[in-house]
Amino acid sequence: MNIKINHIAKIEGHTGFMASVLQGDVKSARFEVQEGIRLIEGVLIGRHYPDMPTVAQRICGICPVVHNLTSIKALEAAMGVVVTEETKKLRTVMELGQLIHSHALHLFFLSLADFLDMDNDIQLIKEYPEETKKAIKIREYGMEIVRVIGGRVVHPLTNEVGGFKKAPDADELRKLVADSSEVLKLALELGEFFKGIKVPEFYRATEYVCLGKTGEYAIYDGEVISSEGFQIPVAEFENNFHELQKQTEVIKRVEHEGKSYMIGAIARINNSRNKLRPEAEKYLASLNWIFPDYNPFHNILSQMTEVIHCIEESAKLIKELLHSDLNQVVTKPYEIKEGTGVAAVEAPRGTLYYRVEVDGKGYIKNVNIITPTAQFLSNLEDDVADYLKEILDLGNKDRERRLRGFIRAYDPCISCAVH
Amino acid sequence: MEKPKPKIAIVSLTSCEGCQFVLLDMGEKFFSFVNEADMVDFRLIEDDEGPGMDLDVVLVEGNPVTEENIKTLKQVRKRAKILVAMGNCAAMGGVPEIKNYHEGANTIKHVYKYIQGIYNPEIKEIDNFVKVDFVLPGCPINGEEFLKYMPFLIEAAQTGDFSKVPIIPDQPICVECKAAGNKCLLLEGKPCFGPMILGGCNAVCPTARMGCQGCRGLRPKGNTKAMRAALKKFMTDEQFDNTTEIYGLRDDIEAREKEN
Repeated sequence: MNIKINHIAKIEGHTGFMASVLQGDVKSARFEVQEGIRLIEGVLIGRHYPDMPTVAQRICGICPVVHNLTSIKALEAAMGVVVTEETKKLRTVMELGQLIHSHALHLFFLSLADFLDMDNDIQLIKEYPEETKKAIKIREYGMEIVRVIGGRVVHPLTNEVGGFKKAPDADELRKLVADSSEVLKLALELGEFFKGIKVPEFYRATEYVCLGKTGEYAIYDGEVISSEGFQIPVAEFENNFHELQKQTEVIKRVEHEGKSYMIGAIARINNSRNKLRPEAEKYLASLNWIFPDYNPFHNILSQMTEVIHCIEESAKLIKELLHSDLNQVVTKPYEIKEGTGVAAVEAPRGTLYYRVEVDGKGYIKNVNIITPTAQFLSNLEDDVADYLKEILDLGNKDRERRLRGFIRAYDPCISCAVH
Repeated sequence: MEKPKPKIAIVSLTSCEGCQFVLLDMGEKFFSFVNEADMVDFRLIEDDEGPGMDLDVVLVEGNPVTEENIKTLKQVRKRAKILVAMGNCAAMGGVPEIKNYHEGANTIKHVYKYIQGIYNPEIKEIDNFVKVDFVLPGCPINGEEFLKYMPFLIEAAQTGDFSKVPIIPDQPICVECKAAGNKCLLLEGKPCFGPMILGGCNAVCPTARMGCQGCRGLRPKGNTKAMRAALKKFMTDEQFDNTTEIYGLRDDIEAREKEN
């Protein structure tokens, strides 16, 4: 029996899915990516370095912030540019805003309908108007963080190598802090609502990988850590996590020690849950999970937990920034130097990795970008192959619906994966 | 009789889908627009595939980079009364077009080891494949501009009166930039394409102290030679050309300079 889904809606980018089952045995489960190649790494070669964040963030319209930040960090590492603590903090806040709005979109507007057995969001919005309003408000708060700091939500403008072209308006930052308690309240209410959503009890052990840092829930910075106790500096990433391209495939998959692994919200929650802010920690505890938690559907509730955490954390960091000299974020003169730099930042969907090589005049010689979806695609296929066994007896339509719901719970971004 | 709800579709070719997110990001404003329309094939909010009916307005974002993309584009043109190029990729080629100006098809060698079987065409704007009735410019588009022009496009589609298709006023970025109270970047010696580029974006880049790089395209009266001359003080001709490549502006400038 062949199971084929031509097109999976409500995810970023274009992909279908194909599985073959022989006498109850899943022989293969594979994504058929329909996304075109934009060759972003290729077009960057030969360009002057300030173009890199501008071009690279256009890999993705939903997570441009993280592509922007990671390319800037990689360039700074390559040229030995040191930025102020205030700059790092402001960038972190921006990335927290990115996580809030991306997660709010995914968990409510892209994934939720699947667990309420609804065909589309128009029905969802009609039946759950209060929850919809809350999700929109939370999402808008995340977007507002990005706008206040970056100048625009889709493809922000102020960040550059060395810092920011301009400091954010202090009054706008104060407004964000003032709004944060109301938004946190809404997030906790939405969290309660999500607790009532039944997701399938499906478990498959895997390895969880994310950035880790002493004393904080690592987002902007850290070393690469894994649930298997493995820890390496970001500089060692490509020596341990191998990109491999199968012929005619446009996504270069990534393996760790020859196996698939999982990243993103569920990986971060598993690896760093003891570093969550208080309300997020309380919320997670109320879910009564037994760790390590291997239910991929829990990615949605992990995202919910992170939304709560990010609202708390961003308010704390903005308050600290308001007590410091905000002008310290404005770029100061630096020297253009030859070198190779790597960087990683936690994107909504997991660790985003960049390597860049620049010449003495700041022209780009080489770029490699390893995106979250490229890393978890094989894990998703391994999961789907297992999950399919449990739903084989369902009718075609029902089974396809469950499959779509499963795939969407992962929050794949095919635009990022191909780039 | 009540006017029928307009049938509107958003079609994403290969792209970052950022223009579509600009619409979604408008939140309640966008949902109230959606309530007054019949959104067909809107992949980001629904799962069921539309039945292939006739459409009033189709908005196309992205580049035709796969054979499937080209097929989709041509099919949707047949169904649409008005077809809109939504955003810089569809209208001008976007960042993927950079490859046309340099290594072309060979760019792929920097990215993939196995290139057999990967469709790797030259990047072309959608008007190379289908007739485009209106361009909603920008990288990404401006959501407010979408809300402003859509009623006219819908009217043109429903009445068949193409004179209703709006024309974006020929005014440089500088008008809105000045109104925003910004200091002129050019006067500070920073490159900015504002004077030759079509306004309507609220000068969002210069307001963030980022010089305009022309994602909205040349305005009809944009003087490229004067712009080049004015920028000579702070950028070489090569730097000027390189910058115009980011949003696929270079070929348009070259065409304009040939005309004059």
